[in-house]
Amino acid sequence: MSDDRSDAYATALFQVAQGEKDLGRVEDELFTVANRVRGNDALRDALTDQSLPVDLRQGIVEDLLGGRASATTTNLVSMIVGAGRAKDLPAIIEKFLEKAAGSRSETLAEVTSAIPLEDDQQQRLKDALSKRFRRTVSLKVTVDPSIMGGLIVRTGDTVIDGSVRSRLEQLKNTL
Amino acid sequence: MLNLQLLVTAAAEGGGEVTSKNPIVPEPFELIYGIIAFGVLVFLFKKFAYPAVQKGLDARTERIRGDLEQAEKAKSEAEGVLAEYKKQLADARTQSDKIIDDARKQAEAVKNDIVNKANNEAAEIKAKASADIESARTAALASLQSSVAEIAIELAEKVVEKNLDRDTNKRLIDSFIAKVGS
Repeated sequence: MSDDRSDAYATALFQVAQGEKDLGRVEDELFTVANRVRGNDALRDALTDQSLPVDLRQGIVEDLLGGRASATTTNLVSMIVGAGRAKDLPAIIEKFLEKAAGSRSETLAEVTSAIPLEDDQQQRLKDALSKRFRRTVSLKVTVDPSIMGGLIVRTGDTVIDGSVRSRLEQLKNTL
Repeated sequence: MLNLQLLVTAAAEGGGEVTSKNPIVPEPFELIYGIIAFGVLVFLFKKFAYPAVQKGLDARTERIRGDLEQAEKAKSEAEGVLAEYKKQLADARTQSDKIIDDARKQAEAVKNDIVNKANNEAAEIKAKASADIESARTAALASLQSSVAEIAIELAEKVVEKNLDRDTNKRLIDSFIAKVGS
């Protein structure tokens, strides 16, 4: 899928979420959905399997999100899956999050941590990144124990990798 | 002279009676006729037969001379042919010597070429074998280093996992935040 197509879907999602006056919640929920789809091969295969009927794939979305996410989020994800763009869902959501942050004059920073971040840690990290990039940063935090420790921050094309996993990889390459 | 002696002997034996009718001594006119006839014969012979005989002799002489000249010429030609033959033989020998010499030189060159090629191939094989050995040694060393690194990293991961409790992780995160903001 081209970036233009992803961008068009992301713009549509943003306009719907903004119109529903529920942008912040939809952002968090879609971010969670993107992480689930990235990290779960079985779920990704089921949603992208073109041999399955569209109703069945949308039913999977309903089963996963119904009652746990807002109706707006559920409908948006269901719409993308129904359009046969499930394999581009993480990319579309990423662009959506960038647009949402941009609407608040913020820069999106995706943070990966081995353990959940405490509120004060998130605030200090947000302040530190805002100072570094000289504009307000909004955080989206993902917990991934495989990085073993430390943090990974990605903003646009910039990646700051302070994870224990990457340090061990560097040590391995040095050896 | 014999006739005269016979006449004397006959006169002596005849008792001294000399007659002019001697059967042996020809009559004078016979002698004259004989002489004339002889002269005619000589004249005729000289006039008709001798030129023919002389001509035959001259022709024979000329023929013999021609034959001799021809023989001389043939001999000269034979000697020329012989000389030419000897010259050709000498040329052929020279040429054959040259061909043999060339063949020997060519064989020598081929031999040297083969030896050089063999030496070069041997050198190449040796160099390739050395390169292969070096490559295998390097690969083995790299594999060993990689194995050592993987083992070391696995051990390090286990040590880190064992010692990286929540408080340590928090300190790592705080340190990261401090570095990002500085």
